[in-house]
Amino acid sequence: MASSASGLGPRPIGERLRSGLLTTLLLMPAGIWYLVLLVAPLVIIFVFSFGTRARNGGYAPAFVFDNYVRAFQKPEPFITSLQMATIGTLACLLVGLPLAYYLATRAGRYRGVLILLLVIPFWTSFLIRTYAWLLILGPDAGLAGFLESVTGAEQVQILGTPIAVMIGLVYGYLPLMVFPLYVTLERMDRTLVEASKDLGAGRWGSFRQVTLPIALPGLVTGSILVFIPMMGEYVVPQILGYGRTYLMGNALVTDFLEARNWPSGSARAVFLIVIMVVTIAAYVWFVNRGRKTREVSVL
Amino acid sequence: MSEDLETTLRRMTETKVNRRGFLYAAGLTGAAAAIAACNTGGGSSPAASTSASAAPAASAAASAAPSAAAADSFPPAGDIEKELFMYNWSEYISLANIEAFKAQYGITKFQYDIYDSNDVLLAKLQGGATGYDIASPTAEYVPGMVEQGFVQKLDKSRLPNLANIDPKFKGLWWDPKDEYLIPKDFGTTGVLYRTTMIPTVPKSWKDFLELIKGPASGKTVFVDSMGDVFVFPLKMLGFSANSVDKAELDQARTVLLDVAPHLLALDSNKYGEKMAKGEAALSLGWTGVLTQDMADTPDKGYVVPSEGSIFWLDTWVLLADAPHPNAAYAFLDFIHTPAIQAEETNYNNYGTPNDKAKPLVDPKVLADPAVFPPDEVFALLEGSEDTSANTQRTDIWEEFKQKLGG
Repeated sequence: MASSASGLGPRPIGERLRSGLLTTLLLMPAGIWYLVLLVAPLVIIFVFSFGTRARNGGYAPAFVFDNYVRAFQKPEPFITSLQMATIGTLACLLVGLPLAYYLATRAGRYRGVLILLLVIPFWTSFLIRTYAWLLILGPDAGLAGFLESVTGAEQVQILGTPIAVMIGLVYGYLPLMVFPLYVTLERMDRTLVEASKDLGAGRWGSFRQVTLPIALPGLVTGSILVFIPMMGEYVVPQILGYGRTYLMGNALVTDFLEARNWPSGSARAVFLIVIMVVTIAAYVWFVNRGRKTREVSVL
Repeated sequence: MSEDLETTLRRMTETKVNRRGFLYAAGLTGAAAAIAACNTGGGSSPAASTSASAAPAASAAASAAPSAAAADSFPPAGDIEKELFMYNWSEYISLANIEAFKAQYGITKFQYDIYDSNDVLLAKLQGGATGYDIASPTAEYVPGMVEQGFVQKLDKSRLPNLANIDPKFKGLWWDPKDEYLIPKDFGTTGVLYRTTMIPTVPKSWKDFLELIKGPASGKTVFVDSMGDVFVFPLKMLGFSANSVDKAELDQARTVLLDVAPHLLALDSNKYGEKMAKGEAALSLGWTGVLTQDMADTPDKGYVVPSEGSIFWLDTWVLLADAPHPNAAYAFLDFIHTPAIQAEETNYNNYGTPNDKAKPLVDPKVLADPAVFPPDEVFALLEGSEDTSANTQRTDIWEEFKQKLGG
């Protein structure tokens, strides 16, 4: 490798050192950020997951596998989370794909305004927006009240049901699905679709064989961006679901705060992280299978 | 109009963010901290000005408080520092009393930081937080804090006002020799209901069970607190609310899984609001919301079921590394001066363990059985214990939560 230095041409060593130093300096904040806020906590959680609960709660050093046994024995919250996140991601896709397609191809001069409208809600805290749904879906002036007056039903209960949770989730994460899809569709060469039609493919055939493969990287990115936070979702089911759905987020709260059993919570967190990584890796592999080129990387 | 504003401001200053409401979500905690910071403000100008407008409107006891306190002699022990750092639940002591204390002892800086659950307090201390003089944990958490060396033994010769404490709050399991904690406020876990929404008023946990499975099905809320929810099945079955017996907990499990599908919500923060709006008719909870969210609900009721329940006791403790111990002692004695303590009760609507303060409490508050349970009701109450180490309880609790969806 030392010989390659001469092969690099006219750049003097001093300049290369300076540029190397500059690169290091510029990457330092991000590096420290990830080290302190991502790597270190992960290591701590991993170490804790083999410990035992201290007498007064918290963590006591040990090397046992009890916590993992317990985590495996209680897969229910994990399964519920998985179901909800899957349905939520599909719902986001169902709502988001046509919207992204419209924005990218048909919106014309309204495109800027429509995108702005999609972004504006992000200026308000997610928590506050979720609380707003309590009023929108609620019994007084909300949807439930409206349905009661229209149908004459005694009581229509929307809040506290899985439907309310799903509405909150799709609402909250939809933009994360729309934007990656929009970006890939917007860059799509429209003449490809025309060519496909000229060559005899119908609307559905063109969509399936041309548009969808082009949109695939955006679809994968969007699905992952939506799926991951939904797996760890806690606030929406707690507020709009009235705490009636027991998800991974709830399970972690039970372990860390109510039972003050940090090792048990840590083991469940590690379990969640590992399964998520495996699931998503499998998903990405499955979707990209057979694709020769990847012009847009996945994440 | 101005009177409406006055009333609103008063309620804003007097309403606590739900004392027993454990805001678990990180987001929720953040919001609560922000709200609480606005309201408490550690004596900063906006909070101070609303409290100033509220103070004259408060009861006679409040206006009498500073002068009465000044009349009491306090045994000085060393120079009292100019600062005091407190770590406490949000809006848990009267702002008027803070001002009176600062004036009386020449305190220039009274720092009031807040937490929203005992677990947060513990986590902070376990994480090595220092610099606080006084904290206010719930009694069952104190033995653990003592064991971990977070709390120092009290010099009771410097706390003459402790003589005012009702003996029934002394010598309890969490501090058998009364060495470490000073009782602050107490309350009960029981059943809240709206008489117009249910056919019969519950008197016992058995009645409660019938209502949940019958007329109040889908209209019942439990607070999201493991220890409190277990009180209902265990007491109904005639066991101790703090039981960790396997067979007893198995029976409790059957009851909990039986009622789970009938619940509207598991919610410690907005259950009062759900009751007030009529979304819920019945709940298992605490008395605080009766004077807060449900202040304007005429048909509200509260009962400690006849099989018994638990009481919780919030306490004052002096932290091990208190930087201002003399100011802390001054405060701990000051706060149990009868007139000052009466103002506390009028402010936060929780029962005071201070006997001498009771005659000075607003008669309406004093007569409220939800705040001051009569002796025969109090006899039915157990002190709550920290049972969080029991994994069977945690397992049942998780199973119960999974059944809530129906």
